[in-house]
Amino acid sequence: MKWRGAVRRASLVLGAVALLAYAVLYASPYGLRVLTVAGVYALATVGFQVVFGLGGALSLAQGTFFGVGAYVTGILGSQLGWAFPATFPLSLAVPVGLALLVGLPVLRLESHYFALATLGIAQVVLLLAVNTPDLTGGANGLAGVPGIVLFGWAVPRGLPLAGVVWACVALGAVAAAMLARGRWGRALTLVRDDPLAAATLGLDVGRLRLTAFALSALYGGAAGALSVHTQRVVSPEVLEFPVMVAILTMAVVGGRGRIAGAVLGAVLLVHLPEWFRGLERSYLIVYGLALLAAIVLAPHGITGLLDRLLPPRSRPLPEPAPLPDRASGGALRVEGLAKAFGGVRAVDGVSFTLEPRRVTGLIGPNGSGKTTLINLISGLERPDAGRVRLAGGDMSPRDLAGARPDRVARAGIARTFQAASLPDDATVLEAVAAARLERDPSVAQAEAHALAVLERLGVGGLAGRPCGGLPAALRRRVELARALARQPAVLLLDEPAAGLTDGEKADLARHLAAVAAEGVAVLVVEHDMGFLLPLAGRVVALDQGRVLADGLPGEVVRHPAVVAAYLGEGSP
Amino acid sequence: MHVLTVAQLLLNGVALGAAYALVALGFVLVLNATGAVNFAQGDLVMAGGMLAVALAPLVPAPGIALLPVVLVLMAALGLLVSVAAYLPLRGRPHVGVFISTIAVGIVLQNGATVLLGPEPRAAPPLLSGGTLRLGELVVAEQSLAIVAVAALLIGAQQWVFARTQLGRRLRATAQDPEMARACGVPVTAMILATFALGTAYAGAAGLLLANQFFVTPTAGSDLILKAYIAVTLGGWGSVPGAVAGALVIALFEVGVSAVLSYPVAMGALYVTLLVVLVARPQGLFGEVARRRA
Repeated sequence: MKWRGAVRRASLVLGAVALLAYAVLYASPYGLRVLTVAGVYALATVGFQVVFGLGGALSLAQGTFFGVGAYVTGILGSQLGWAFPATFPLSLAVPVGLALLVGLPVLRLESHYFALATLGIAQVVLLLAVNTPDLTGGANGLAGVPGIVLFGWAVPRGLPLAGVVWACVALGAVAAAMLARGRWGRALTLVRDDPLAAATLGLDVGRLRLTAFALSALYGGAAGALSVHTQRVVSPEVLEFPVMVAILTMAVVGGRGRIAGAVLGAVLLVHLPEWFRGLERSYLIVYGLALLAAIVLAPHGITGLLDRLLPPRSRPLPEPAPLPDRASGGALRVEGLAKAFGGVRAVDGVSFTLEPRRVTGLIGPNGSGKTTLINLISGLERPDAGRVRLAGGDMSPRDLAGARPDRVARAGIARTFQAASLPDDATVLEAVAAARLERDPSVAQAEAHALAVLERLGVGGLAGRPCGGLPAALRRRVELARALARQPAVLLLDEPAAGLTDGEKADLARHLAAVAAEGVAVLVVEHDMGFLLPLAGRVVALDQGRVLADGLPGEVVRHPAVVAAYLGEGSP
Repeated sequence: MHVLTVAQLLLNGVALGAAYALVALGFVLVLNATGAVNFAQGDLVMAGGMLAVALAPLVPAPGIALLPVVLVLMAALGLLVSVAAYLPLRGRPHVGVFISTIAVGIVLQNGATVLLGPEPRAAPPLLSGGTLRLGELVVAEQSLAIVAVAALLIGAQQWVFARTQLGRRLRATAQDPEMARACGVPVTAMILATFALGTAYAGAAGLLLANQFFVTPTAGSDLILKAYIAVTLGGWGSVPGAVAGALVIALFEVGVSAVLSYPVAMGALYVTLLVVLVARPQGLFGEVARRRA
């Protein structure tokens, strides 16, 4: 469907041309002013799409960054008489500084708490603005802010000002779209969909979120500065909640996470009240109803509707590229690992070694601490005591106990989850390529490598399918591919054969044996002894957080204590 | 500070907190039943206050007589809100409901402006609006009446939820909708009932607040913030926590603004909130969600 791609691109260009034609040929001075305001909001909303749409953090501070940018320009411009070349960069820098300052503690919070914390910050800033009249002019604000001066040219109101603002929008939107499509945007999307999985794939979740938050502040500050140059006054209104609501609404009506949606949403929602002006006092009621109708009828926004009319062309698959060689790793030694939840000792002084080129089985009744052990090794839980040492090919062993999951992943440990966790909306290729984002220089190369891994596991044909519709067995296979794409020294698999048919199990066993043969230390948590025993070179049995037996498979399963633990005949 | 002044402030704080508690209670009930934030809750409080203002000339009786009318009409409004802004977005990301209830808030706010004008209005007092002498202490009758009405409504909610079949079904829906449906609970009807109850309580809070504090069409945004903070302080999803959180906010507001000023009180409230959030990222009483990987 080549023509669809062409139509999509053409409609973008056509929209831009129509906007330009309207501005140059038809718009009244008032119309141009409305268009300028729409540009200001578009810029703020583009930034909001980065943190909220791509990063999934419902920040309610975007209006604040907008307002802070506005006040920096207002104060420096009207109180100190500074000119645009000095005020504009500072109007970007101050919100970014604020974002970095508050972001560090606040971004650790879970969704609703994060939203509320950002709202709290917004309220504090608003109170400061209203109650420090010497600096901000208090409730009245500051008048007499100078206009934009570019290289000695004072930009007049009307068409030139609209042009400058929309040039900033174009620049900002293109930059954001490129970021969103690149490695960084992909990584951020994974952080939104599944932060735990993102961390176990070596992505620094905290840093990605903080960067996104700071970037949103950059756009917010720029928009605020431009808005003050348009209005020539700044008052506490720019910091009040309706600004934030407007930006959030534009992002959702335009289409969450879509840069083009941010621009469309801003143009539409700024003009909507103008179109309903004829209704006089009740026009804002109609505006509210229109907003309600929009979110109910088009939950994926305008861009989502356009996608349904003109489905995006599925991208051609890349040529698979074999993974680069990696020095094989050493053994993983777990020593005295312990973790208690409340009074329950989930893992209680566990020690064992995972040798390279060997599949080690980890067995034990439900609740014996198998999954907790994997969580402790992979960094999702912090152990109370013990060491996790990974011998590198050429380095001395490092203690990874208590390290962050992304550091553990970078050291060469990969894992899968008991309930395969893949983002529903991503294609299989995208999901597996996420494992390479931290290592490969580009998305294209990450996908080429990912395809090679999928083909090796015999599921290359799934590459273009969305993960959401996959049956359980294939989901597990894709998750295994994602873990293997990390080229780990140690691979931890949590019940990889659960729910598979006998044929699928035999196939999986063959693949796991091949992986181990390449020098990987593999740990398999499994209940199915028929699957595990022929595959494993060694088996560790756990019960109530302690190692009951550790040895050759045949010996361990006949060990009286293991038999007793499984059959529940009291403790030995 | 004189001990009588402190007692006076305490009563004012508890009265304000009782009204806030109704707002937060409605908010948290809907939150538990749907998992979604009803951002119109503040505007629904305003609507209840405006309704009382509009009804007052028609009912030549003290404000307490308006309470049942406000409760019933607001419950009907709650049903309307859930049908228009929640049911169509069910099963989609919760942020959709966040936006749709913002839209409802915009409609309510501007509807009130068009119908009644932007200026502050006062609802009639619950009883006579006079003062009572308790020894040396002079207290506003309205403050005592607010505490009594709010306590009665909160007690009624607790009783229904703890003791009746309807309450068991409502709780089952809030805990696990899938499981409740499997057990034969009419989940959709329960969610509608929760919206009706939450909105009725918002309306009651509007009636209680709109005498001493007046009501303006834009009053909602301040109230939703306080409900949000109360629910966070009390532990996201905890019903007694929301009531406790509302009382803490009101006492803080009244106490600090008496000693310093209202803006300082608000600033201190938000800063305290931030410190609490940073020190305990799961909220004061919240548990860390752990994934069974």
